[in-house]
Amino acid sequence: MISPSNVGVDIGRTLKPHEYIGMVRRDEVLDAYLRERAAEAGATVINGLFLKMDKPEARSGGRYKIYYNHYEKGSVNGEKREMEVDAVIGADGANSRVAKSIGAGDYDYAIAFQERVKIPDSKMEYYKDLAEMYVGDDVSPDFYGWVFPKCDHVAVGTGTVTHKSEIKQFQAATRLRARDKIEGGKIIRVEAHPIPEHPRPRRVLDRVALVGDAAGYVTKCSGEGIYFAAKSGRMCAEAIVEGSENGTRMINEADLRTYLKKFDQTYWPTYKVLDILQKVFYRSNPAREAFVQMCADEYVQKMTFDSYLYKRVVPGNPLDDLKLAVNTIGSLVRANALKNEMSKVAL
Amino acid sequence: MALFSPSPPTTLFTLSSKAHLSTKTQLTLFLRKSQSLVLLRSAGDNGAGSVGSASVVEEKLEKKEEAQKSNLGLKEEEEQGLGANGVSLKGEASSSFKDPRWVKGNWDLKQFEKNGSTDWDAVIDAEARRRKWLQETPEASSNDEPVVFDSSIIPWWAWIKRYHLPEAELLNGRAAMIGFFMAYFVDSLTGVGLVDQMGNFFCKTLLFIAVSGVLLIRKNEDIETLKKLLDETTFYDKQWQATWQEDDSTGAKKNKT
Ligand SMILES: Cc1cc2nc3c(=O)[nH]c(=O)nc-3n(C[C@H](O)[C@H](O)[C@H](O)COP(=O)(O)OP(=O)(O)OC[C@H]3O[C@@H](n4cnc5c(N)ncnc54)[C@H](O)[C@@H]3O)c2cc1C
Repeated sequence: MISPSNVGVDIGRTLKPHEYIGMVRRDEVLDAYLRERAAEAGATVINGLFLKMDKPEARSGGRYKIYYNHYEKGSVNGEKREMEVDAVIGADGANSRVAKSIGAGDYDYAIAFQERVKIPDSKMEYYKDLAEMYVGDDVSPDFYGWVFPKCDHVAVGTGTVTHKSEIKQFQAATRLRARDKIEGGKIIRVEAHPIPEHPRPRRVLDRVALVGDAAGYVTKCSGEGIYFAAKSGRMCAEAIVEGSENGTRMINEADLRTYLKKFDQTYWPTYKVLDILQKVFYRSNPAREAFVQMCADEYVQKMTFDSYLYKRVVPGNPLDDLKLAVNTIGSLVRANALKNEMSKVAL
Repeated sequence: MALFSPSPPTTLFTLSSKAHLSTKTQLTLFLRKSQSLVLLRSAGDNGAGSVGSASVVEEKLEKKEEAQKSNLGLKEEEEQGLGANGVSLKGEASSSFKDPRWVKGNWDLKQFEKNGSTDWDAVIDAEARRRKWLQETPEASSNDEPVVFDSSIIPWWAWIKRYHLPEAELLNGRAAMIGFFMAYFVDSLTGVGLVDQMGNFFCKTLLFIAVSGVLLIRKNEDIETLKKLLDETTFYDKQWQATWQEDDSTGAKKNKT
């Protein structure tokens, strides 16, 4: 993690040998793996593009009719098909059509812009098992800029909610900050994605449920969504299996709501804490300097990784907590004091 | 200062061509901000607009970019030549922060000596100047010369001396008051088991809020900023709860089916 004044801290030092932070290097590979595993477990996988659905009379127990374009392996021309189903789980990402079809409402979203850059092998070596996060008003007013390794190239990007129209400028700043490390690189692809900021107002309607980005489960601060997408998908599926008594009885909305309840109960504190952290620490450069200083602390790293790796908020040791509090106050006071000085300096 | 010539696209471009309009804006911004990276683009590409998550944002973005473009008074033709990928990154030396006392990513404290001891006031001044410089002209981070200066090496009394006791005392007094209040508050919650549930991380978060409160509320106008922050927080909570409120109004009926 690299602060506005380019102080860098390595946040992986406290990891134990068997612990590691996974980085998704090729989404296609993960997707294919999950699909195959589902098929092995007995699912019928259909390669299709969902278009729309007809809802049965509300709570009548009738079936949903879904319309989709069916694609044979390797072919680009879809064939229109229909199918009747008992329940629908919308896991179709941020622009979910399933969400639209149940009037789930919108969410604020951050735009994430990234460029896939092929960099010389000598430079790639540095990013072999490390990712960089840059913070600062220059790279994003409310998020961070990143360089993530992706197999044989890196993704350089940044995101923002509040200043979307200036994203290109932030991207330029991110590239500038990483300049020496990606020099000589060639952009091979440019991508822009929405990242949900909070859940949609409606996540379940009758026998339709939303999971992952379709529902809006990305944390603030870290922008983590893969884990929660997978977890919500699993919770939802489990709720259906349980509610239908292994497929012997029709489910209803209450069954799907047990998934929602479980998810919210388990993870809401995590989302809330990260939302607050983002509000406190991503707002200004002095706060970011303090944040990076805080991240250098071993105790913070241990706590952060425990909560990241095991997705649980672990109680810390009160003495360490107190020390942390004092240090954090110190960092914030210093950074703010320096900011006050900055306003007096003429360059 | 090497220049790379634009090379042909090597991969299918994932965005629809519409989105490329925006690159023009970027270039202008580059020039305006005189930042040190320049994009060179070759013409002619077209990726199929994928169903993927990009499409909606693109549309919205595009509108904004268009608005911005007209503000900047860009001409049609300018964007024609720029709508593609296959871009090379080029590094250009920008003017970096220079100070004889800034050596290998650190303040050389020997040069700050005055009467046999370090003149911390001067260090604070120097660092404030460096940060201001960086704020205006952000610099590339470097692995060869990482920044090692850490503001925590400046002793606490140097700050107190500089900011005169009254303000520091005010801050300390407020912090202590909030500390007591928090301890009391947290204690009263323990009975309910809330703290158990959320763990100490929750307490820490409260503490962060308190601390930032102390730091933020210096003047009355800061309260406005804080109010805005509070509104946003409430908004966030509302979004999470929305789906449950719906449940309350219709839930009774549903459970019967
Ligand atoms: C640049 C960027 C960086 C990120 N970095 C991280 C990170 O480091 N760590 C992390 O945890 N998260 C990260 N995230 C967030 C994470 O990628 C998402 O939260 C996660 O992928 C959500 O998974 P999902 O399955 O819900 O949605 P998606 O991954 O978007 O999958 C949706 C799928 O549905 C398909 N689909 C869409 N519409 C239809 C339709 N009509 N019919 C049929 N299929 C359809 C799509 O093709 C796609 O395969 C990042 C996101 C971005 C944009």
